[in-house]
Amino acid sequence: MSAMATARATQGRPPMGRARIDTDLQQDIEQFLYFEAELLDDRRYRGWYNLLAGDIRYWMPTRSNRLSREMDKEVGAPGEVAHFDEDKASLGVRVRQLETGMHWAEDPPSRTRHLVTNVRVSPSDVEAEWAVRSNFLCYRNRMDTEVDIWAGERTDTLRVNVEHGFTVAARRILLDQNVILSKNLSVFF
Amino acid sequence: MIDVGTLRQLVDWERGLISARIFADEEIYALEMERLFGRTWLFLAHESQLNKPGDFFSTFMGADPVVAVRQKDGSIKAFLNACRHRGMKVCRADEGNAKAFTCVYHGWSYDTSGRLVNVPNLEDAYFGELALPDWGLLEVAQVESWNGLVFGNFDPTAPPLVEYLGDMQFYMGPMFDRTDGGTELIGGVHKWTVSGNWKLAAEQFAGDAYHGGVSHTSATQAIADGPGVAEKLGQTANRQRRSDLGALQFSSRLGHGAGVMGRLPDDMLVQLLSASRNDLLIRYETEVALPEMEARLGRARARAFGHATLFPNFSWLPNVPSIRVWHPKGPNEFECWAWIIVDRDMPADVKEALRLQAIRLFSPGGTIEQDDGENWGHIGRNVTTSPRIRSMTLNYTMGLGHERTDDPDYPGLIGSRFYGDVPQRGFYRRWLEFLTSDGWPSMGDVDIVATAEK
Repeated sequence: MSAMATARATQGRPPMGRARIDTDLQQDIEQFLYFEAELLDDRRYRGWYNLLAGDIRYWMPTRSNRLSREMDKEVGAPGEVAHFDEDKASLGVRVRQLETGMHWAEDPPSRTRHLVTNVRVSPSDVEAEWAVRSNFLCYRNRMDTEVDIWAGERTDTLRVNVEHGFTVAARRILLDQNVILSKNLSVFF
Repeated sequence: MIDVGTLRQLVDWERGLISARIFADEEIYALEMERLFGRTWLFLAHESQLNKPGDFFSTFMGADPVVAVRQKDGSIKAFLNACRHRGMKVCRADEGNAKAFTCVYHGWSYDTSGRLVNVPNLEDAYFGELALPDWGLLEVAQVESWNGLVFGNFDPTAPPLVEYLGDMQFYMGPMFDRTDGGTELIGGVHKWTVSGNWKLAAEQFAGDAYHGGVSHTSATQAIADGPGVAEKLGQTANRQRRSDLGALQFSSRLGHGAGVMGRLPDDMLVQLLSASRNDLLIRYETEVALPEMEARLGRARARAFGHATLFPNFSWLPNVPSIRVWHPKGPNEFECWAWIIVDRDMPADVKEALRLQAIRLFSPGGTIEQDDGENWGHIGRNVTTSPRIRSMTLNYTMGLGHERTDDPDYPGLIGSRFYGDVPQRGFYRRWLEFLTSDGWPSMGDVDIVATAEK
């Protein structure tokens, strides 16, 4: 094999088993995720809510410490206790609560910064839907000295949408904590 | 060490005057670990978590880590989670099934009944002289169950569980003994941390319905703004602000406390049967559960449900439905561990609706519970950082002098208002007795068990 052919075969190839994703699509999806984060950090919750599909499932299972042979139970199963298990209506209750001006856990409001990285896009079985995994780090500073840092991974289904570019049709949030090391989870991820 | 006289000055329960110092003091905390958590019956697990022999659940009794394990004979034992050799944890998983607990430090291995069964180099290094039977895991002195709830007690001289529960059993019935099938847990636990004192949560669940209208007003409004909910609530929403409509406070001489529906009119009671005003749940409770409970427990007892704390740190909420333990982690830190409890024989759609309701309302991310964390956390900050706040006397006088012990329907000391400090005063009375007694604090000839059978 010529040097050039070797280079062609080894460069610019997606990691093992992954589909090649169009650069524009990758960028559009990343920009969507950054926009979402911006809305949350700007406390424009209603705007963020509008990016969620009507049939969204927004789910944050619990994480437990397990024996090595029971590691399949490390992440809480569907139908078990979860930190969030939401549909559009129940997320709407949460947004309305923030809008009351009397949600004391977030009034005065916290300062948050949602960092989104490691965006991995794959085709899904459904047309015009993309499976997107991303890592996040959410920093919260509250009142004077309170600080919370939440790290984890999100597995999203993003659906192509004429108005917004995409909507979030499903989100599984894997928070890297066993005991939640904060007094509440009053932010969106 | 803090002396008895000082403690009595700090906790003047008779006048409802209690020092904020009890939420911040290192010496008081140390005394609680020894005299309170070393002697009281503490919640370990639900029977449904330990189905098969070898099933275990790791938890805490006070600040001490323990493992509850289902035995081959069907009984449950609990052990201090520490190898007898160097004190390393012998179980580092939250739950699961095990044949043995083997320490990962030097390999000492214990069977599920706590016996030391294997020690590496027993012959060559210990010269065969180590007496294995003497070095089993330290066992929790007493373990007993009540309607699926498993409790442990470090004190071998403590009275049996049923005596400890006393008149609280009357109020536990409509939560844990609703049907022949009994209860079970939805899999998984909510665990989260609060920088505050554990008693803030325990006393709130014992007697503080008062905070709901202010602390949780945003959640209540957001739920009521949902389609059709405001209409459903109608007039009752405004009436709920009053506390003299028939719901009661209960205080046990044993320290337990609750706020219960009691004689609340039916039209209001119905709306409170589901904390999120879920139609399916209200219908199930009204048409199926309540009539069955009335037949099973009698009308008064079937309505003896509400927020509650079993002294000292096991609490529940029926219309969510949540059970929880407040694990102390120092004077200014505690962990909330909460489970979702359902009746075994409920239809699947009702169980699922309860699961979602509990997650969405009462969990670290729950619309209601988020605001509790805010309150407890800032009280914690106040009492630990400010000497002047720490020496403040706090007001527990609500309803003082208006309690009665001769209620025709409800046993214990009863406050006729839903809002009050009746259970809180009783909680701290018993707390003071434990902290100021050298042994199990007896109450003379008070006949609590008899009154439970009212």
